[in-house]
Amino acid sequence: MADEFAKGFTILVTAGLAWLTLAGWYNTPSFEGQQLTAADPTSGLTVYDQVALVLKDALFWFAILGFVTFVVVIPAVRKLREAYDGTPEVPE
Amino acid sequence: MSDNDIDEGEGPTADGSGIVAPDDETPTWSERKERSQGLSRLTYEYFERARREDQDLRVESDYVERDVLAFPAWPHEMVRNLALTSFFVGMTVFLAAAMPPHIGAPANPSNTPAVILPDWYLYWSFGLLKLGPLNPDLALLGGQKLMADRTYGVLANLVVVGFISIVPFLNKGAARRPVEQPFWAAVGVGGVVYAATISALSVKNLLPMDSHLLFDLTFLLPIVAGCIAYAVFKSMREGYMFELNRRYYRLRPPK
Repeated sequence: MADEFAKGFTILVTAGLAWLTLAGWYNTPSFEGQQLTAADPTSGLTVYDQVALVLKDALFWFAILGFVTFVVVIPAVRKLREAYDGTPEVPE
Repeated sequence: MSDNDIDEGEGPTADGSGIVAPDDETPTWSERKERSQGLSRLTYEYFERARREDQDLRVESDYVERDVLAFPAWPHEMVRNLALTSFFVGMTVFLAAAMPPHIGAPANPSNTPAVILPDWYLYWSFGLLKLGPLNPDLALLGGQKLMADRTYGVLANLVVVGFISIVPFLNKGAARRPVEQPFWAAVGVGGVVYAATISALSVKNLLPMDSHLLFDLTFLLPIVAGCIAYAVFKSMREGYMFELNRRYYRLRPPK
């Protein structure tokens, strides 16, 4: 449980930080305006910018799905398997 | 798991012969630990060496052993502190380099801004100035208020600060974990939530919600959060980990 939590938490904070940086570059038009959630820029994008925008979305969902997978899904599957096999519960 | 699989089929018999392990085959606990692989082995060796060095130092010195549950400052605590410090310094440098902050135009001293607010950590005090609806109209005074709303708000600050300054003088017992004292932990959770809600009340003209609803939630949410926290802490007071942690965290009495 603790190992799985550490993995999920690492994914969350690492991918989240990368997403935060990219969103700060591309989706924060001004300091006092919308933060991190503004619409993607459409014009004047280089190849690197387009790659970064794709990467930004990918990292966002990787942060959320990775965290949910390791903290919720995998422990739940283990518990279900324990219950299904009838083995005694391992204290975590 | 694999340890359990070995002795399947030859479980303890009625005469108790299966309980005793066959001699010369069962590893001792230290052998089990030494045989483990990778990081756990490295950790074991590190702490074992540290323990051994500690023991040698104690044996050869006239050091009086204190009955304190801790690691020595060097290297254990210092390595941890340096790791944490490096992490936060690195994070600061990274954020400052990757996302340099906006530097606005210089302030115009002859212009009053549209929105005037204290710094965010003083929002709670600013919110206490907006408790006018709680200032009672007294029938004895013919429906008048005893004091102005602004005076009432300043007195509310005194009440909160006074309560917080009492806290160090309360006897909170030897418990170090919230789960040991669910009631007081719930009071603390309510206080933290109240700090957040009263801060939200102070910026009520900036929040996109009905200000009367916000005013009610300011006082209801802390109570709800306190009740939930109480229930959670109560339900945590059982189980293997609770007993283990209670034994670990209990301070040993001085000799």
